[in-house]
Amino acid sequence: MGSQAAAITSPVPVAWYPTLAILMLAVGLIVTASFFIYEATSSRRNRSLAKELTTGALASFFLGFGTLFLLLASGVYV
Amino acid sequence: MARSISMEAAGLTLAFLILILTISAASSTNQIQILNAERRIDLSSHIVKVFLTLKVENVMTAPASEIVLAFPPAQADHLALVKAQAAIGKKKKKSYVHLDVNPTELPDAPNGTKYFSISLLNPLSSGETATLEVLYILTHSLKPFPAEISQSESQLVYFRDSALILSPYHVKQQTTFLKTPSTKVESFTRVEPTKFAGRELKYGPYEDRPPYSFSPVTVHLENNSPFAVVEELLREVEISHWGNIQITEHYKLVHAGARHKGVFSRVEYQSRPSFSGTSSFKHLLASLPPRVHSVYYRDDIGNISSSHLRSDYRKSELEIEPRYPLFGGWKATFVIGYGLPLEDFLFESPDGKRYLNFSFGCPLAETVVDKLTIKVVLPEGSKDPSAAVPFPVEQHLETKYSYLDVVGRTVLVLEKKNVVPEHITPFQVYYTFKPIFMLAEPLMLASVFFLFFVACLAYLHNDLSIRK
Repeated sequence: MGSQAAAITSPVPVAWYPTLAILMLAVGLIVTASFFIYEATSSRRNRSLAKELTTGALASFFLGFGTLFLLLASGVYV
Repeated sequence: MARSISMEAAGLTLAFLILILTISAASSTNQIQILNAERRIDLSSHIVKVFLTLKVENVMTAPASEIVLAFPPAQADHLALVKAQAAIGKKKKKSYVHLDVNPTELPDAPNGTKYFSISLLNPLSSGETATLEVLYILTHSLKPFPAEISQSESQLVYFRDSALILSPYHVKQQTTFLKTPSTKVESFTRVEPTKFAGRELKYGPYEDRPPYSFSPVTVHLENNSPFAVVEELLREVEISHWGNIQITEHYKLVHAGARHKGVFSRVEYQSRPSFSGTSSFKHLLASLPPRVHSVYYRDDIGNISSSHLRSDYRKSELEIEPRYPLFGGWKATFVIGYGLPLEDFLFESPDGKRYLNFSFGCPLAETVVDKLTIKVVLPEGSKDPSAAVPFPVEQHLETKYSYLDVVGRTVLVLEKKNVVPEHITPFQVYYTFKPIFMLAEPLMLASVFFLFFVACLAYLHNDLSIRK
């Protein structure tokens, strides 16, 4: 049975977890930084809500996946 | 006229059939005769293994499809496992075929005898003989006597059984061999012919005994093998589709031999190991699957460092040493946990369901588990759990809330009493799971971060100053 049935593995190779965690968190933090820099440097009239929301969404996507891979790399298999 | 004759004939055949059926039902125990029965009882460890070889013959005309084994009620309570196989072929071409054994009931059971019925592959026709090999395992059947011993005494136990094999059939010839762990046997009941030589006690051969003949014997022997009994074992198997299976095992271990009385002198225990604490044990060996990682062994106090893990490509062996050696009546409670790679145990079946192929039973060698509970925690979003276990277990479902859970994880709980090492066999747990549900966890985390950014935007866009 074991040789005929297909073994199920993780969608992402387990060896990549630490690297992916660091990369995604780094990108997420960079985009977060760009979000707050945009908020700090632009004046109230020049702000575009669409740009803020897309930056926030991108940052939260990378931070979310980065946190997941961080949890998996440290042994908390969620 | 013709109709009445045919009706009469029909009535007669019906009456004849009923008569045949009642005769065959009433005399089913006279249908089989055991030509030769050989029973070998292995008393080397605290788990009693009995190998029974039966040569049966069908003496009636009707074919027989099952053979019934009888056990006295006291022994039936301690029965952990009954297995049967039939020998096919002779000498070099001998092969064994597994036979189903099920508990059964016969209407006129004397003194509360319990029965097990072996279903034969091909019904035995009249005059035909068959050879069956039966293995049954008894737990808690060696009673320590004296019930309390000191540190420097050896452990002696009573084993009570019958010199004649209890059977609902007539037995033409039978012999019983008892294998003792050492040459020291204090006393044994003599039921002639009886012979004791070396490590073997032979009762028999006995000729032509009627059904249900019983001759109780008591053997008082020395048995210093470790009486390791796990009162309760809770094994939790948590499956994570991200690549890991986490096992956590909670043990309540007890030494079930003669209780220790008096003081425990560590000096005497360590200086004269062959004389002091001969029935105690201090090492336990756990067989774990290969490629195990992150093994820990701890109890309520904290980590227990006296353990060794040796692994190769086929298996891993964890040798644990509790904080103190276990003497009679002493208990130890601890937790063993480890992680396993997912691809070794989770597979996809042809109908699209996923299944976990894991081994039932206790990893500790030569231990009896009084109550074993296995909880298989399936990932969030799993549906339709079902288990395929080779022997009867009690099942029910629970819910567990763990990391990043919203609706909770389905837990399939399997419970079994009286588990011996022969129960270590693979079992499967089937469930359905849509892979898209795995995205739920990172998206949940991403949405939390997004909520934080939206809150920042809300704060920055609104003017909260009190003064204009």
